[in-house]
Amino acid sequence: MIPQDFEYSAPASLKEALELIATGERKILAGGMSLIPLMKLRLAAPEHVVDLARVPGLDYITESGGTVRIGATVTHHDLESSPVIRGRAPLLAEAAGHIGDTQVRNMGTIGGSIAHADPAADYPASLLALEAQIRLVSAKSDRTVPASDFFLDAFTTAIEPGELVLEVLVPTEEPKEGYRYEKVSHPASGFAVVGVAARIKKAGAKISMARIGVTGMSPRAFRALEAEKLLESGAGVAQAAATVAEGQEANRDLYASADYRRHLARIWAARALNVALSRAS
Amino acid sequence: MKISGSFLVPVPQERAFRLLQDPAVLARSMPGCDTLERIGDNEYHMKMKMVLASISGLFDGKVRIADSRPHSSFRLIVEGAGRIGFMRGDGLLTLTELEGGTNVQYEGTVEVGGTIAAVGQRLLDTTARMMIKRFFEKLTAESASSGTFSPTAIL
Repeated sequence: MIPQDFEYSAPASLKEALELIATGERKILAGGMSLIPLMKLRLAAPEHVVDLARVPGLDYITESGGTVRIGATVTHHDLESSPVIRGRAPLLAEAAGHIGDTQVRNMGTIGGSIAHADPAADYPASLLALEAQIRLVSAKSDRTVPASDFFLDAFTTAIEPGELVLEVLVPTEEPKEGYRYEKVSHPASGFAVVGVAARIKKAGAKISMARIGVTGMSPRAFRALEAEKLLESGAGVAQAAATVAEGQEANRDLYASADYRRHLARIWAARALNVALSRAS
Repeated sequence: MKISGSFLVPVPQERAFRLLQDPAVLARSMPGCDTLERIGDNEYHMKMKMVLASISGLFDGKVRIADSRPHSSFRLIVEGAGRIGFMRGDGLLTLTELEGGTNVQYEGTVEVGGTIAAVGQRLLDTTARMMIKRFFEKLTAESASSGTFSPTAIL
């Protein structure tokens, strides 16, 4: 199908891009894996599209001082295959490898995915479990928001008009910690019916730190704080995982009811935690 | 699909009932509502722009209030159609006075069709719930600012 007419700009610098999005209704195009299909179906009809493809220097992955910085236009495949990510934030590399299919991973970007904020996207679970931060810039401002304050609701983020996602900051994982992203893929779309990201640090036989992020189950991804606390105070995986869905609203569609999604979240949380535990030393 | 839930509106029952049927308040509270014009008894013509992430669409439709039983319950029927699809929501709202406010319980059905339903099935329920949540959040904010309360409330 053919999209409705729209104006198209391909700025050659970040400054120019920020000036373009400072006024009016502008839609930012990165990898186009969500926006272009919507435009072709005419579900989205932006008047003016600002393409980031020619903005240089947004596709970096660097690490220093315990923080990995990931530029907004880094693709899922770049993340999945980057030695820095695989070495320093392997949970994120594992999650990136679960996204869509090869074509989507080659085109789709981390900035685009989190800005779109699909409630079934893979990244939010890991970004929450990693306590990542998202840096948002506009022509006039520059601020950094924790992932837990960034994903507000289905398709709703903390991005204000005129702002774009510049980079994602991820505190490095310790080599000794265990991690795992487990996911139930929707058979047609590949989206997460439920996805669970888990991190475990051990001190002797005890769990000294647990982080659990859940995506797909609710309108927004969330951290299972109660389950984390239980694990850190000596409870077993089964007992902790059983609490994962508590107090959360659950999505439902023709494929999975709300109760089934809650059930999946508990079971997959246990699986993710068990693998993370076995990987921790 | 069936939809149900409840919200606490922090005003007494009588006031909550009037707020919920005040066209000016409805217009400000319904997400994306552009205009709401009276076309008959308890019936309004509505223009709405739905914006959700990249998806946006104009809807043209009607809002109707039926089976009004003052201060305890009424039916709210919202229907609209646009290029991206159509929707029809029919819900019974029941009000009960609680300490500190009024509990508004809603129960009804939402039907969505057209392109938006064909490609967006997995998100319809989540979206409908989010719109209802936003409606009640706005309504709560409205109820706090009594100055904007319209005197032309339908009783």
